[in-house]
Amino acid sequence: MAAGMIYTLRHRTTYRYGRPVRFARCTLRLKPQDGEGQSVLASAVTIDPSPATAVTRHDYFGIDALAITLETPHTVFSVEALSTVRVERAAPPPPESGTAWERVRDAVVAGCDLGGRAPVHFLFPSGRVPLLPEVTAYARPSFSAGRSAYGAAHDLMLRIGRDFRFDARATNVYTPLSESFALRAGVCQDFAHVMIAGLRGMGLPAAYVSGYLRTVPPPGRPRLRGADASHAWVAVWCGAGWLGLDPTNGVPVRDDHIVVARGRDYGDVAPLDGIVSGSGKQRLKVEVDVIPDTETQDLALVG
Amino acid sequence: MEAALAESLARAEPAEDPLARVARWAAGYRPVPGRPDEFLGPDGQPRGAWPRLLDRLGGLTETEILARFVAAERHIRDAGISFRIAGDQREHPWPLGCLPLVIEGAEWASLSAGIVQRAELMEAILADVYGDGRLVEEGLLPAAIVAGTPEFLHPLHRVMPPGGHYLKLYAADLGRGPDGRWQVLADRTQAPSGLGWALENRMVLARTFPDLVQDLHVERLPAFFQAFRDGLTLGAERIDPRICLLTSGPYSSTYVEQAALARYLGLMLVEGDDLVMQDGRLHVRTVSGLKRADAVWRRIDSDFLDPLELNPASRLGVPGILEALRNGSLVVTNMPGSGLVESAALAPYLDGIARRIFGEPLRLGHPRTWWCGDLEGLAHAQANLDSLTLRPAATPQRGAGRDAILAGPVLAAERERVVAALRDRPFDYVAQEAAPLSTMPGWERGPDGLSLAPRPFVVRVFATRTPLGWQVMPGGFCRVAEREDVDPIELRLGIRSADVWVLSEKPVAAPAIGLHAAPRVRRVGGHLPARAADGLFWLGRYLERAEAVIRLVLAHLRSVGDAVGADISGALDTPAALALRALLYEWATIGAADLPTARLAQEALAGRERPGSAWAHVESARRNAAALRARLSGEAWRVLADLGESLSLDTGWALAESQLAGRAERALSQLAALSGLTHENMSRAEGWHFVELGRRIERAVNTCTFALAFANDEATPGCLGVMLSLCDSQISYGRRYLQGAALDPVRDLVLLDPYNPRSIAFQAEAITRHLADLPALAADGIPEPHVRLATRILAELRSGKAADFDAVRLTALETDLERLADGIAARYFPTGPNALRPEKLTGLA
Repeated sequence: MAAGMIYTLRHRTTYRYGRPVRFARCTLRLKPQDGEGQSVLASAVTIDPSPATAVTRHDYFGIDALAITLETPHTVFSVEALSTVRVERAAPPPPESGTAWERVRDAVVAGCDLGGRAPVHFLFPSGRVPLLPEVTAYARPSFSAGRSAYGAAHDLMLRIGRDFRFDARATNVYTPLSESFALRAGVCQDFAHVMIAGLRGMGLPAAYVSGYLRTVPPPGRPRLRGADASHAWVAVWCGAGWLGLDPTNGVPVRDDHIVVARGRDYGDVAPLDGIVSGSGKQRLKVEVDVIPDTETQDLALVG
Repeated sequence: MEAALAESLARAEPAEDPLARVARWAAGYRPVPGRPDEFLGPDGQPRGAWPRLLDRLGGLTETEILARFVAAERHIRDAGISFRIAGDQREHPWPLGCLPLVIEGAEWASLSAGIVQRAELMEAILADVYGDGRLVEEGLLPAAIVAGTPEFLHPLHRVMPPGGHYLKLYAADLGRGPDGRWQVLADRTQAPSGLGWALENRMVLARTFPDLVQDLHVERLPAFFQAFRDGLTLGAERIDPRICLLTSGPYSSTYVEQAALARYLGLMLVEGDDLVMQDGRLHVRTVSGLKRADAVWRRIDSDFLDPLELNPASRLGVPGILEALRNGSLVVTNMPGSGLVESAALAPYLDGIARRIFGEPLRLGHPRTWWCGDLEGLAHAQANLDSLTLRPAATPQRGAGRDAILAGPVLAAERERVVAALRDRPFDYVAQEAAPLSTMPGWERGPDGLSLAPRPFVVRVFATRTPLGWQVMPGGFCRVAEREDVDPIELRLGIRSADVWVLSEKPVAAPAIGLHAAPRVRRVGGHLPARAADGLFWLGRYLERAEAVIRLVLAHLRSVGDAVGADISGALDTPAALALRALLYEWATIGAADLPTARLAQEALAGRERPGSAWAHVESARRNAAALRARLSGEAWRVLADLGESLSLDTGWALAESQLAGRAERALSQLAALSGLTHENMSRAEGWHFVELGRRIERAVNTCTFALAFANDEATPGCLGVMLSLCDSQISYGRRYLQGAALDPVRDLVLLDPYNPRSIAFQAEAITRHLADLPALAADGIPEPHVRLATRILAELRSGKAADFDAVRLTALETDLERLADGIAARYFPTGPNALRPEKLTGLA
């Protein structure tokens, strides 16, 4: 695999409402993360209807959030984000390397850093990731005494990849963790939440990462427009830094994953979130294109 | 208690010397060994202000004391002072104990100094955590404690509260530690409740023992409340700020308290739906449109405040409200995120932080606590599991057993589970010295009269931020357990509340008026929130509907019974009686149209299962009124309670027709009293117009229905007689016409006569006047649609002839009146179809 990739990303979200919406207040988190092995070469968002106010905030966790209000009555609301990103990460370390998980845990708890990037914020239950005894019990076999934090997390990732079934119909965006865990099924969001709950249950900080995954069209077929999807995985704190692990595909994160935002769970990083006044029925359509500057990848991964 | 009173009144009480009486009360008083008691010191001698209080009480006979208890309880019931146990729909009358907690002025002064220091400390910690973060950096406060508290609200990091203060109201739950010194069992900074209860307790007890309050020099509370109200607007942008009390609604366990405070402090009582963000400013939806809100006293937890940036599942808050905090246009008390310092895990670090910030140790302590995220703390907890109480680190409660995960000896399996939890995530727990609560005296009633017994208690004290520093309320909110096994930290059954008396050395002057800048003179209490208008409108409609049902029942009882009018036959199958029964059935007041007369009357008046019974409508009115407590007078509330009682008939007890008629007549007088109260006591501001609009529209619609049944083209003289009686117009008719009831004269009197206060024309005139007095949305002079409709209805009645009002015309009129009601709802109420209900955007991973 060539080190370093450049991607063009297109993420288009369209809402159609049953009745005209006169007012909406939304938060957009669509700009890819700059730094930690990524650089954003270009990024733009087109919003229709055009917003009455738009303020960019750099939130506590360092996520770029665009807060907008819409005050023109509308029945269609669309947002298109276009970005070009260079991804060039170091190769993931060998699974069983690094500091023992107990020492990583104790160091985090004893830490004196409360900044937004500090791992301590990712140690506790969050809105969508409650700590459940059954999930902790599921994670425990990966945490033998003295094993490296990365090794334990890597093992947990492989187990989830084996034990859970990818099934887009089993869950939706609101399915609680307890349910997807009991079903042993779901999509990338569910896989990530389960893994985060397992890691935190054992005392390791774990974050939810939203972004995109490079996919490869079937041999001999052209890339279909809008056929890709947004993706989610996990970052685990290993003592010296965050390392990405993708439980849906059972692989460590390197140059095929493009990071948009890292938060405590889906709630912190939702690409588009908001409140509208009197919409009647809502219909949502999302189209994503992840276009690499070369098409030479042969790994087939699912999002 | 009434029975007890009767019993003791019956018993001839021997003349008893006051001192002997007190000695008898206290004879069996035995504090629990090892637990400090307020009344008897460790030496077994009475202490503090208790001898003074008891000597004064001893001057009253037990009969007098019991009579005062009864009077107090009656007042509590009449005034509708009640509370709800969390998760329970019923309201319970407020359980006030009639022995206050008394504290000497000197002891209070040193306690106050400790409270002030602690409030100041909490303020400093909040300012640091949401600001520069030095305490964490310097290692005085573990980062994991802050990060582990759900109340650390990241979106508010670096957002300075307007005016600079995080806390405007600090409360602490106090008890005495094993060493006999006061200690803090829990710090309350989120949205402390209890201020209103403290106020109610004082009002009731001051009525119960007026001389005592005077003679013992009990410190007064109003100055504190004035200071608190002034503090709510510290930092507000405008000079004449609008202050809202944001409640979680009538089903909150402390809603009655919130409504009482809103009324006492003159705040607008609002729910999240009443508020809306526009142009970066917070506004209230009122019947006059959106009005700016400058300050909010929130009684909902911070997390629920903004579904957009905080808890997305919240239905209680206002989307986008944090924006108003960021741009400094809104003052919120306490600043969202202030709940952070309620965390029990802070306790071990407070003394160190006090020394670092103030250069002095913590004055007012708390039970010894160890945070298990600290290796030494964990070691201590593991070694002493049997003598410590283990609880979640991030919760505030520190009283007796509440929220304890492990307290004292438990089953082996349970212990194992806890040991495992401590091993996996020790930082989620604190271990705390387990000590039972200290005690104070409470009354006990036995066969030989009253006596005193020690009872576990917790007292909540309050401090408010003023421009000159913290001011402590000279009083508090005390909760006393009636039994040993209930924990008085939270209100529930088995807990009594008690007033707190701080006794001054010198006589206490009555609160001076004019301590503060005189308010601007105004004649209306500000704009009426749309939700309150809705409630008032329906209050009027329900009461009028109840009256209509009662009149139908009375008409039926009379037509069958004593046949007052010569033209009303006593038979059951006259057209009039059949029509009455049909209408009662149609209105769902009775289960079948052919019930025996007494059953029918009882069901229609009091049927619990009948959605249309008079009782059911009064209940609906009461429910509506509950949400309007801040706007109704105490008298109105009391009459409403009495009305409900008049209509509560035991179904197992069959009453005779004449008894039922008596009940119905009593209920009618109470309804008249209520309408008199609204007329005589309610300010002619917007609120009054809505009660009246509801009443007038309902009366007009009901009169149409009556006319369709009893004054149609086929109406018999009997029917016309009923029509007159339903419209309470027999006397007017009798004065005008010598002969019996005839169709056109009756129709004219009940439909078109603008001088008859029961006629539809009279209602239409009134409706038009009320609508003209309400604010218009646009200043273009064009009447709004609902005003045009009201005008048309009035014109038709003014220009109509009695003979024209046949069934077709009456039905059309009835439809128009209902459309008018809908039009008013659409224009003014939040539930109207045009109201902007916020909805979440559906999401996708």
